[in-house]
Amino acid sequence: LTYNEATLRYFENAPGAGVLGGPGTFRGAAGSRAHGTWVQFDVQLNARIIQAARFLAFGCPHTIAVSAWVAEQAAGRELRAVLPETVQQLSERFAVPVEKRGRLLIVEDAWIAAVRDGLARGAAAIESPPVGPMS
Amino acid sequence: MTATAPMSRSVYLDYAATTPVDPRVAAAMAQCLTRDGEFGNPASASHDYGDAARVLVEAARAQVAASVGAFPKEVVWTSGATEANNLAIFGVAEYYCESGRHIVTARTEHKAVLDPCRELERRGWRVTYLAPDGGGRIHPDRVAAALQADTVLVSIMHVNNETGVIQDIRGIAASCAEHGGARLHVDAAQSAGKLDVDFAQLGADLMSLSAHKAYGPKGVGALLVSSRARGRDAAVQLRALQFGGGQERALRAGTVATHQVVGMGLAFELARAALESERERLAVLRERLWQGLTPLGGVIRNGHAEHSVPHLLNVSFEGVEGESLLAAVRGRLAVSTGSACTSALQEPSYVLRALGRDDVLSESSLRFGLGRFSGEPEIDAAIAVVTQAVSRLRRLSGA
Repeated sequence: LTYNEATLRYFENAPGAGVLGGPGTFRGAAGSRAHGTWVQFDVQLNARIIQAARFLAFGCPHTIAVSAWVAEQAAGRELRAVLPETVQQLSERFAVPVEKRGRLLIVEDAWIAAVRDGLARGAAAIESPPVGPMS
Repeated sequence: MTATAPMSRSVYLDYAATTPVDPRVAAAMAQCLTRDGEFGNPASASHDYGDAARVLVEAARAQVAASVGAFPKEVVWTSGATEANNLAIFGVAEYYCESGRHIVTARTEHKAVLDPCRELERRGWRVTYLAPDGGGRIHPDRVAAALQADTVLVSIMHVNNETGVIQDIRGIAASCAEHGGARLHVDAAQSAGKLDVDFAQLGADLMSLSAHKAYGPKGVGALLVSSRARGRDAAVQLRALQFGGGQERALRAGTVATHQVVGMGLAFELARAALESERERLAVLRERLWQGLTPLGGVIRNGHAEHSVPHLLNVSFEGVEGESLLAAVRGRLAVSTGSACTSALQEPSYVLRALGRDDVLSESSLRFGLGRFSGEPEIDAAIAVVTQAVSRLRRLSGA
């Protein structure tokens, strides 16, 4: 098994690992441990802006690395139900083999679930954040 | 004999996959390669070069035979255990195909046995794949129950390569003997040189051996072909799979690689001499490793603890994913995982699945193979590396 430099760096350092709590924090998860891949994102919002994001991941190094990268990139961005890059771009950035692309879709689903949690529960606090097309 | 691993390399605990060649073995092999050594073709009967090489080949044959309780004439050199398994399975199948077309084996066998069996299925044979108990053992009664009137071969390994579980070969041999027509083949790649293997007493008709699991070179092995009738009309017979020179009693044509078999002979002799002390030493180290890992919690020992070899420990770790576990220890610890890498995706170990483990636990296992150069420093380093990796991955997953 070989991994590119980005995958190794984010797998080994895993920035953004953990959970968030308190007001303005929303959570979403996707996948299943029993099926080998599970991802959870917590996002903390101030109005429409993501103040912080954290992740938990049970999965292969690519899953952990991509989840860590997504959480790291999220801070300061406007809440949107899309990843900072498309699954195709993430596949290239992390050299994810085509057989494992489905795991990136689980990362995407977890992110969208967290955003939708924010939309559903934090609608009063968030001024109708835009929802972009899924990649 | 112990030695600390070089600092620049990971701790090697994959001795069940392969072992380094013993320096004494390497030196003996080197004497068979160059002009000032015994480089002759052992089949050359017309000059002293061939004679000298043949003397070495036969001495090596005697060394291997003596180390596993066989007669020298029962040793057929091969390129390794895989070829030996193929020769045993296809050789018996082709010789006895008029008597029957049914084979009994186990789901936990090595691919070098399962794949030939599957090929025979494609050719119209019937194969019964026995499931082990939860500890990985195949009870002789289950073998007996699987035997049919037209069963010609039973192939059960002595020691499982993933779990280290030891099978009751004598009991299985008794079941085969009672049946009469079923010959017993035993893949002993993981036991020869590590256990007290006695071919005659175990009662097998055929036994596969590998040199590189016992500090010998890769590329050489042997098939033991019993000369005993074992209550039947005649000793087991094989049909050769390759032709072209009549070497090895016409069972395995091809020039015998003198340096390889000399290496195997000495390696087996040395392993036999160190067997008792190594077995005790490795058992202590394996227990140290297991006791060092259990504080992690959620650790499951795979395979029967009592009926297993001292040099192997297989552990599943709850709450971690297999590929990440292997990646997390890589560079610091050389072990095998409970999954087989096929393309970019990993598949759970079919051996652990047969023991009843689910896919996740089957994948999240590590096989620790201890060996001659393993000592307390290596075991303690392994405990530290695995503890750190498992703890970190569990934190990452919130487990």
